[in-house]
Amino acid sequence: MRQVFQSTFLQSVGYEKSGVYKLGCIFDRMNTLSALLKKEILLEWRQKHALAGVILYVLATVFVCYLGFQRIESVKTWGVLLWITGVFTAFNAMQRSFSTETAGTQLYLYTLADPRFIILSKAIYNAIFVAVLNLVSVFFFLLFFGTELLDSVDWSQFLLGLLLGSTGLGLALTFVAGIAFKSQGGVGLVAILGFPIIMPLLITIVRHSTAALEGASATSNGLNLMVLLVLNIVSFVLSYVLFPYLWRE
Amino acid sequence: MKNWIKILCAALLLYAAVFSLWHPMAPGGLAVSATELHPGRNDFEFSGYGTHFKEAEGSLKVYVSIDSSAVYCADILQVVDDSRVFVSVFLPDTISSKRFGFAANNDVDGTIIVDSPVGHEGFVFMQGTGNPDCRYSVRQEEFSGFGFPYQPIIIESIRNLMWHVPMWFTMFVLMTIGFIFSIRALGKEEGKIELDHDLRASSAAAVGLVFCVLGLVTGSLWARFTWGDWWTNDPQLNGAMVVFLVYVAYFILRSSTPDEDKRARLSAIFNIFAFVLMVVLLMVMPRFTEGLHPGKSGNPAFSKYDLDSSLRSVFYPACAGFILLGYWIYRLNYRIQKLEQHHENQN
Repeated sequence: MRQVFQSTFLQSVGYEKSGVYKLGCIFDRMNTLSALLKKEILLEWRQKHALAGVILYVLATVFVCYLGFQRIESVKTWGVLLWITGVFTAFNAMQRSFSTETAGTQLYLYTLADPRFIILSKAIYNAIFVAVLNLVSVFFFLLFFGTELLDSVDWSQFLLGLLLGSTGLGLALTFVAGIAFKSQGGVGLVAILGFPIIMPLLITIVRHSTAALEGASATSNGLNLMVLLVLNIVSFVLSYVLFPYLWRE
Repeated sequence: MKNWIKILCAALLLYAAVFSLWHPMAPGGLAVSATELHPGRNDFEFSGYGTHFKEAEGSLKVYVSIDSSAVYCADILQVVDDSRVFVSVFLPDTISSKRFGFAANNDVDGTIIVDSPVGHEGFVFMQGTGNPDCRYSVRQEEFSGFGFPYQPIIIESIRNLMWHVPMWFTMFVLMTIGFIFSIRALGKEEGKIELDHDLRASSAAAVGLVFCVLGLVTGSLWARFTWGDWWTNDPQLNGAMVVFLVYVAYFILRSSTPDEDKRARLSAIFNIFAFVLMVVLLMVMPRFTEGLHPGKSGNPAFSKYDLDSSLRSVFYPACAGFILLGYWIYRLNYRIQKLEQHHENQN
């Protein structure tokens, strides 16, 4: 009764059209989002064995590269190996993104929050996660292969590209993982659907990283960065628009 | 008339097939046997493609342009047959070059130019200094007969334009149909309509995928002839391959989702994703990256210089014909799928 009174009263004074209300809504959404994001991070933190598993995977991949190559002859190989590791790590991390939650949990989340925020929180979390994992793999690469080839590296550019590439992978693959999860087609489906989807991103990021490692100027590499940004935005917008349809049962 | 689309389609395709294969080529310069010019007398063979040297022997003149700055006339001509002529030109002591071009003029073929065998880039056939008695001019009366324009490396394979390019146009049209029906499938709440739209989308995508394969095959043949390899590192080629993979993934997704409603929804979502990716890969990315296709790092299409009226008169009907054919097959495919679905539901 009190709620009804409040809402009609607030409507009558035009509260819903006021900037205060809209700002309140935005804050409300930010709260939902941050709560969901917090939930993702907490879940990851509580399953430390899984986290350790992914990092072990990165370490093992880089170590296999080291055993095979001993030393890397060209900067191009450096860039390509780094991103092959990055992609497989991203796939590995992504496969747990949806499958760790039971159907009951998902239904519960669905009643609590807009599905857009669910995908958004997952995508943002995965983007951060992939970026961190890629940084770890860069660390391992430097550890095993040394810095002999990397005299003229533009580190700020390289890291910016790494970040954008990781977020792009995170955004696109989260969405694909959602589709694969819903279709119940098994674990392999993420790779089948995901690989062609991320191909343009992958080509661009390899090109960008290689150029940055070779020490290309920011202007000559700017186009690759632009393409990366555009691909990020495209996958973000598509995920945001299409995810509610995916979530509807 | 009920079947006018089919009749129009068949007529356009027949016209395109006949003319793209039987239409003659306009004459052009094929090659020159010399690789370097030196002071004194130079002898070499000038060969043309589809030319009439013998027929128009009296009016034949051959010019040599050196470094785009001086023109000399050949003083001894010995015509072997319609496509070959032995040429001898006398150059003064100061001239020696690897950058040169040749032109031949006669009454039947008009002006024919052969670029320098080494370093074509930026070579312009200019009068400049040189022998003042030898005035080079492009003949106003071009080749009088009709024919497809002669392009140096492409030559006869220009006929592939009427097959290769329409395949991609048709694929684009079909994928757009699929995209539209995927959006409409998501827009509707009722299950029945959604399934019908999904069926249309997937039928269109299936036919589009066939045209994608045909486009890749015809393109591969063309690449082998002009660029020397079955597959070359070109953004458009790589993009087309990724598009092919994405749409194959679309059908794998469909076949691995047993539930009908879920399949309709998931594949509609994936199809929207795939279409956007296709637009990015085939229409946006090739404009930013260097490639081999015509109009590289610009508009990826034949410019007005390459596409003359004789090509247009076959190319546009071929495009229209193939698009209609694609639409026709899509309609058939859709109806077959629908019947199969109906049949399954009855059992």
